[in-house]
Amino acid sequence: MDETYDVIVMGTGLKECILSGMLSVSGKKVLHLDKNTYYGGESASLTPLDQVYQHFGKPEVGDKFGRGRDWNVDLIPKFLMANGQLVKLLIHTGVTRYLEFKSVDGSYVYKGGKIYKVPADEREALASSLMGIFEKRRFKNFLQYVQDYDENDPKTFKGVDPSMSAKALYEKFGLDANTQDFTGHALALYRNDQYMALTSLDLIKRCRLYSDSLSRYGKSPYLYPLYGLGELPQGFARLSAIYGGTYMLDKPVDKIVMEDGHVVGVSDGKDTAKCSVIVCDPTYAQDRCKKVGQVVRAICILNHPIENTKDAQSVQIIIPQNQVGRKDDIYVCMVSATHNVCAKNYYLAIVATTVETDNPEAELKPGLDLLKGVEEKFVSIVDLYEPLDDGQDSKIFISKSYDATTHFETTCDDVLDLFKRITGEDFDFSKVKHTDVEAVGE
Amino acid sequence: MATGIPSFKVILHGEYGVGKSSIFRRFMNDTFTQATGKQSTIGLDQCTRTIDLGSQNVKLTLWDTGGMERMSFIGSSYYRGAHAALLCYSVNNKDTFSILSQYILDIVMNAEGAKIFLCGNMTDQLGPEGSEGNAVTDTDLDQFMSQCQDVLSGVYRVSCKDSSGLEEMFRDMARVLHQDTMSRMTMRRDMIRPGDTPEREQTTEKKRCC
Ligand SMILES: Nc1nc2c(ncn2[C@@H]2O[C@H](COP(=O)(O)OP(=O)(O)OP(=O)(O)O)[C@@H](O)[C@H]2O)c(=O)[nH]1
Ligand SMILES: [Mg+2]
Repeated sequence: MDETYDVIVMGTGLKECILSGMLSVSGKKVLHLDKNTYYGGESASLTPLDQVYQHFGKPEVGDKFGRGRDWNVDLIPKFLMANGQLVKLLIHTGVTRYLEFKSVDGSYVYKGGKIYKVPADEREALASSLMGIFEKRRFKNFLQYVQDYDENDPKTFKGVDPSMSAKALYEKFGLDANTQDFTGHALALYRNDQYMALTSLDLIKRCRLYSDSLSRYGKSPYLYPLYGLGELPQGFARLSAIYGGTYMLDKPVDKIVMEDGHVVGVSDGKDTAKCSVIVCDPTYAQDRCKKVGQVVRAICILNHPIENTKDAQSVQIIIPQNQVGRKDDIYVCMVSATHNVCAKNYYLAIVATTVETDNPEAELKPGLDLLKGVEEKFVSIVDLYEPLDDGQDSKIFISKSYDATTHFETTCDDVLDLFKRITGEDFDFSKVKHTDVEAVGE
Repeated sequence: MATGIPSFKVILHGEYGVGKSSIFRRFMNDTFTQATGKQSTIGLDQCTRTIDLGSQNVKLTLWDTGGMERMSFIGSSYYRGAHAALLCYSVNNKDTFSILSQYILDIVMNAEGAKIFLCGNMTDQLGPEGSEGNAVTDTDLDQFMSQCQDVLSGVYRVSCKDSSGLEEMFRDMARVLHQDTMSRMTMRRDMIRPGDTPEREQTTEKKRCC
């Protein structure tokens, strides 16, 4: 590995693979390493099921839950917003052709111990049992306003100053606390209530992302790839390879070599690969990161769908923090054999939240209670890291750990921000030109 | 776009340097280059061709490895949804041949139900009878085939340099794959490929940005 590269990327998690792909496409010579024998790092999907048991230090079960090979278990569950940034990245880089997706069946929100389908348009709002009759009308007016809103056309502001706070906008429409809860958390997908002080424009944009995503393929605004999220980093790794990126897995990195305060290479103990830039996840540069919190996740195997979801084969449930007296939301994601992630008649549910107490597992209780009996449960508490600096001096650019959100918007924000810091410019999608030839027939 | 033509994903597989990208290039635009190594593989992704079987048109989409087999594992996603794998070796390099059973295992594990075709490349380089050296002999091939009889759906010998055997191979693969689906029609309908899949009927005339 004693060659010279423009960039060495370490870790094959989703963020690193997207960056590796974008950098290769931009003409950089990229070496991409991983200490593991598989692609994906923390965003891998483990298969067969025994690998999950091994990962959590439990004795193997073989084919106890259907054929072990049919399982692809995400360590970090997330869904793609159909109109979100990751889908745009997939389309514009051509990576979408390596993957297949299906819609997620349902999107639900928790209120007073029960779950309700998230009403996303005026018609659904009027039919929902989530609100009383007068509240429905107010909410309908709010949705209508959001739909008609055009950032570039002040007429559509209808007298609202875009810098007005989200809270003030709610008050303008007279929405009650419950409606504010599911609007902010299940539609706008804020993780806590700090957004109330942010601009109403941000709230409106997020609500629009939800409804635009919903209108794309129906059912819910979410997509999920067949065979699990682990397919995503692999797709971007292929993109990188096709543009000349070199891949080495199972490659322990001994140390990052520095000179005059900036990186000059990576050593495996024997050889040094030279480079002027490093991109990596926090596990490759612990000493340059700070801990910013913890996430607790419980991966659960069920033998039944979740109650009151009309037997949905895949579903997201958001438990807004206010509803259970917390600061951060609790998320439940469930997928099943329709997405080729588990054996027939089983369901894979993951409950996750940001840790607030000394007893993280107990914090998941409202989510776990919704599952009504699990066959198996794997609980993990992971530290979240962020880089200490922006990498401009050291030229070591470190991604943030994956947060508790169940979609990829924050993931993409980090990736696009990193790309800009690394190259000094935005990614130019017109550089994507690989073969997608439909050769003429004989 | 959505023609009713049956369409098959075929992945190239085999050791580096056996000529996978060369086969890909012959398939794509019937060209050949002496260039070798990582650099020569850049840009090759996948290519679709319609093959006329007389009674029926069939689409083959051939996938190159992107050179990912050079230093590391190719990753499970390459295999997903493959209807067939074209397993390549060089007829004058035994090593590239003896490793094939390992590749077959990978294919069976990762692309369940995929048909496997065997392709010996570089037949132009075979010396005269008796000068085999490191070449793969007929006996080697017979032995291998008897070991994995049921697994192989076709065995070919080609040369990308003088282009012999290639068109026949592509056509034969298309024929075998088509016959196979005729005997068990399976269609997947609810798959979504963002950017490709037509979206739900729009009720409002909103502009989309991508
Ligand atoms: N003489 C001869 N040379 C060939 C033939 N096919 C390929 N080659 C040469 O063999 C070398 C390797 O071919 P590639 O097509 O790059 O092989 P590959 O399997 O794609 O290799 P990687 O992508 O590097 O793993 C090139 O120099 C080709 O020109 C053939 O039929 N005859
Ligand atoms: Mg090649």
